[in-house]
Amino acid sequence: MKEFKVSIDAFDGPLDLMLHLIKEKELDLMNLDINVLTDQYIAYLESMETLHLEIAGEYLVEMATLIEYKSKRMIPGNKDEIDSEYEEDPRERLIKRLLEYQQFKEASASLNAMFEERQKMMTRPLSEEAEQFMVAEEEQYRGNPYELMKAMRKCMMRMQLSKPIETKYTVKEMSMEDRELEVRAMLDKLPNTFRFESLLEDCKDVPMFIVTFLSVLDLARQHILYFTIDEEENIWFSKGVVA
Amino acid sequence: MNEEEILETEDNASVLDADYDDEEDEEETYDDGFIHMASVLEGLLFLTGDEGITLEQAANALETDEEYVEKLFDYLQKYYLQDNRGIEIARYGLTYRFLSKASVHEAAKRLFQITKTNKLSQAALETLAIIAYKQPITRVEIEEIRGVGADVMLRKLEARGLIKEDGRSDAPGRPILYSVTEECMDAFQLLSLDELPELPQFDDNEEENNDLFVQ
Repeated sequence: MKEFKVSIDAFDGPLDLMLHLIKEKELDLMNLDINVLTDQYIAYLESMETLHLEIAGEYLVEMATLIEYKSKRMIPGNKDEIDSEYEEDPRERLIKRLLEYQQFKEASASLNAMFEERQKMMTRPLSEEAEQFMVAEEEQYRGNPYELMKAMRKCMMRMQLSKPIETKYTVKEMSMEDRELEVRAMLDKLPNTFRFESLLEDCKDVPMFIVTFLSVLDLARQHILYFTIDEEENIWFSKGVVA
Repeated sequence: MNEEEILETEDNASVLDADYDDEEDEEETYDDGFIHMASVLEGLLFLTGDEGITLEQAANALETDEEYVEKLFDYLQKYYLQDNRGIEIARYGLTYRFLSKASVHEAAKRLFQITKTNKLSQAALETLAIIAYKQPITRVEIEEIRGVGADVMLRKLEARGLIKEDGRSDAPGRPILYSVTEECMDAFQLLSLDELPELPQFDDNEEENNDLFVQ
């Protein structure tokens, strides 16, 4: 019966496969017969299995949903319950999903045409000469990472001097991501240009200090902060574009 | 914008009579100052290359206002759209840049012996389409539409610079929201997301009617 076989890789997920089956078996999407679709779907997955192809979990999830629906329908006198039990009839829901998916599938085809057309047009890099001037200008402002490290060490020394050495401390675990959020919150209250020390006021120990430093580096990477270092090796930050 | 359309549809000019008048009026305002500014802008555009230049940047560099710069760009764009030019000024997103015309592509392929072309997989295209039409959107919402995990794809698209994280949703767990980038607009030749082709309708009215009957 199966004249030709298509690998499951040809489909972009279970909805894509269902759309294919609906089209191939000439089912009416609006009045979808889920029983037929379920049978076809299962048959397809089974034929995949006999070819020893791995079936991605997503396909199985949808299969389970289809079977669940079909089995509920088969219990006599249970019809009303299906409707009341779910907020939305699963059949309606499936049709809605298929319709929505089909929309984007078609939209992506026209996007692809636009993409391919754009690929035919090419551009050239920024003028190298202009770039040289730009870098020179930026360097006055941004400093380089090694200077930053040096200044950082000085910062730490200053902090050690200003705080009495504790003999016992608990390491407060804090992730860089958490700290980054805190630092971002602090930014709102800080002026456009500020010293690194302003971010360290709530730092009680070295790990915290380091986490703060790392999060600042990450913020600089995202161009949320720019840093510069003055002659006295103070680290200054200025706010960049917030993406 | 109008002028571009005129050039593209010069054959059925009758429809555009009104626009032609406009164009002629504008032509008269092209004084020496304007032409000079346009030439400087052309030079800037040449220098910025693939980085391109925004209205704002150009206005700052030319020490004039953005409205004026837009007129300059219109003038230049029109000039380059002529058939005797091999490059054009494209505006995608907020950025204008010089691009070789699509008609150059075949010869360029021979010259540079280009065999590969950049392609986006169907999965990537669908994911981008969903984000572009529904942004900002969470990963789970994308997965619901495609019925497939989107985690890896989102990371790939982000690495390619086509999408970006765009804040967080108020939904439980505060999931990350995704939006398309300027680069994505460039890749699909979009001036803004309003230019996306309308989503095809598959008539779910019928379905709604059915709903009524069921009830």
